[in-house]
Amino acid sequence: MTFLIVSQIINGVVTGMLYALMGVGLTLILGVLNIPNFAHGVLYAFGAYFMLAVTQLIGGFWLGVLIAPFGVVALGMLIEYFGVRQLYAAHHDYQLLFLFAVALILQEAIILIWGPVGTSILPPEHLAGAVNLGVTIYPKYRLAVMVITAAIVIALWLFLTRTNVGAIVRAGIENRGMVEVLGIDVQKVFLLTFGIGAWLAGIAGSLATPIMGLTPSMGFDILPITFVVVVIAGLGSVVGAILAGILIGLAQSLTTIWFPEAAQVVIYLLMGLTIILRPQGLFGKR
Amino acid sequence: MARITRRGFAATAAVATGAAVTGFPYVVRAAEEAAILGLWDFTGAYADVGPLMDVGAQVALEQVDYRAGDVKLRYVTRDGETKAGAATRRAEEAIASEKVGYIIGPWSSGVGLAVSEVAKNNKVMHWFSGGTEDISGKRCHRYGFQWAANPWTAMDAVLYAFRQQNANARRLYLFVADYAFGWSLEKYVGNLAPKYGMEVIGADRHPLGQREFSSYILKAAAKNPDAVFMINFGLDAVSAARQLHSFGLIPKVPLIMSWSAGVEELIQLAPEIRSNVIVGTNYYYTADNPVSKAFVEAYRKKDKQGNPPGYAPAAAYSLAHMTIEAIKRAGTANVQKAIQSIEGAEVEGLVGTIKVQASNHQSIRPYFVLKTKTPKESQGPLDFGTIIHTSSTPQPKELNECADIGKL
Repeated sequence: MTFLIVSQIINGVVTGMLYALMGVGLTLILGVLNIPNFAHGVLYAFGAYFMLAVTQLIGGFWLGVLIAPFGVVALGMLIEYFGVRQLYAAHHDYQLLFLFAVALILQEAIILIWGPVGTSILPPEHLAGAVNLGVTIYPKYRLAVMVITAAIVIALWLFLTRTNVGAIVRAGIENRGMVEVLGIDVQKVFLLTFGIGAWLAGIAGSLATPIMGLTPSMGFDILPITFVVVVIAGLGSVVGAILAGILIGLAQSLTTIWFPEAAQVVIYLLMGLTIILRPQGLFGKR
Repeated sequence: MARITRRGFAATAAVATGAAVTGFPYVVRAAEEAAILGLWDFTGAYADVGPLMDVGAQVALEQVDYRAGDVKLRYVTRDGETKAGAATRRAEEAIASEKVGYIIGPWSSGVGLAVSEVAKNNKVMHWFSGGTEDISGKRCHRYGFQWAANPWTAMDAVLYAFRQQNANARRLYLFVADYAFGWSLEKYVGNLAPKYGMEVIGADRHPLGQREFSSYILKAAAKNPDAVFMINFGLDAVSAARQLHSFGLIPKVPLIMSWSAGVEELIQLAPEIRSNVIVGTNYYYTADNPVSKAFVEAYRKKDKQGNPPGYAPAAAYSLAHMTIEAIKRAGTANVQKAIQSIEGAEVEGLVGTIKVQASNHQSIRPYFVLKTKTPKESQGPLDFGTIIHTSSTPQPKELNECADIGKL
């Protein structure tokens, strides 16, 4: 039993890191733009499908991981520039409806381009198979994803805390009005933030392909969990999103040992408890 | 204004009677129309299969030029949304506005059972294909028919074929979709495994729509099973298979996909992932009979990628085919007569001979078991496996819960 618990803890952390990557992107957009991005899931899906396109057209797994997220950045920026930007002054309902419509349209676009039936991408040869960790066997690729995700999160944290642009983004999360008063072009900040969020969704989608595979509905599958991460973390909290992602991964994994039927419900239970006990989230300030 | 005289009325009546006795009935019958509702999921959890099912039904109707004998067939569709509420509402609406007398679909067992109640209340013939045994079990009625094999038949066939292929395998670990369909199959696997010298060493029920199986796989791996036996469907099954492979559990130990969509699932898995899989399915496109061959040819022409049909479009085709057959045999669009004409009948269908049991409306038909091919054995991207076993063994009578099929 001890081995099983330890192996589930390892698994929970690895799975949670993927959730965290999605949550960080969503929380950034939500924190700065004050918009719940319902299209975040479909951007994740496009990360996976752009990855498929690159591997089919050019070849090379890592090339796909490198290029695909920038395709998603372009897509995300187009959505912000031509759509979301026109609705900043509008009521929240319009923003929600618009982004939900974008998500549905883009999902249909995936079906039109790549067909309704999903497909698989195998991990690169050197990361195929599993490694014996002593307490359990574990896929090499999942461990690699954990390391890459950790590196991305650290790089993002450095960007936000050690650069001027990062400081502006953080200021936008804290007090958007103040950023405008200081004469900073807030529209550019919004566009940049949406682009960063889209990149994070895109890289999560491309890295997840050998684990989750590709299906047109994959964006809508991941979206609820991503929102749970943000709610537990608190709006705009990058550190919170990482910890919330890991918390959810751990909760799912450990629940499977004793009550597998509840492995999905438990994350919503955590969200409910957070809303009741600490409505602003574990690390949120508003 | 001229008044009708007694003589004039008698003459008119005589002409009408004469016409009725001779050729006129033909004209009346020829104008008779039966409206068939294709209730498919164009949105919701099974949105990926809804359009494929629509195509399957269309092929069946086109093959008979939208006629069942003298009855003209009108095909209408509605989106069931993979939701019981939406599907029943749409079915009620179509019955009222389109004069629908026959319903085929939807895809989900839970939704199908709800639609079955609508059919019963509105006296509409309903053909369904799915994993729930309740359609021909405890919730059976005269208006509801099940095309898919009974879960008992399916599990018996899969366990038998698996044992033939893996003589030393003893210990099975189950992944079970946590809803009515999964529970009934799990029950049968538990009961039937000892018959073939096997035992269930563990079973994890997972929520419907599960995409992350790593924690379940770790549990299964810790028990060191001889095979992983999956009782789940669609993307749940595909996700689990993919992740079992990444953990190195398969193909080292065989995987059993006991109730599979066939092509629609296998095509999503890389050849390396599906190289040691036993697949139980209600239809496989290499089924060797003329109905299947004609269907596969027609379907591939309609499919954008030219893929062969899997279980979903095949089921839709068959639901339409069985409905057409019932109307044709009855010679009328009258629903009650169509039901009586198909009860106890044998039909040459997509999977071979299908016998419709009058007592519970369960189709007794072959269930297919495939052994997948390794990348080296495969002749092409669509050559997934070989049919190694088929079985039509009916569910034992004492296990069937249809106490009384009821009256029309």
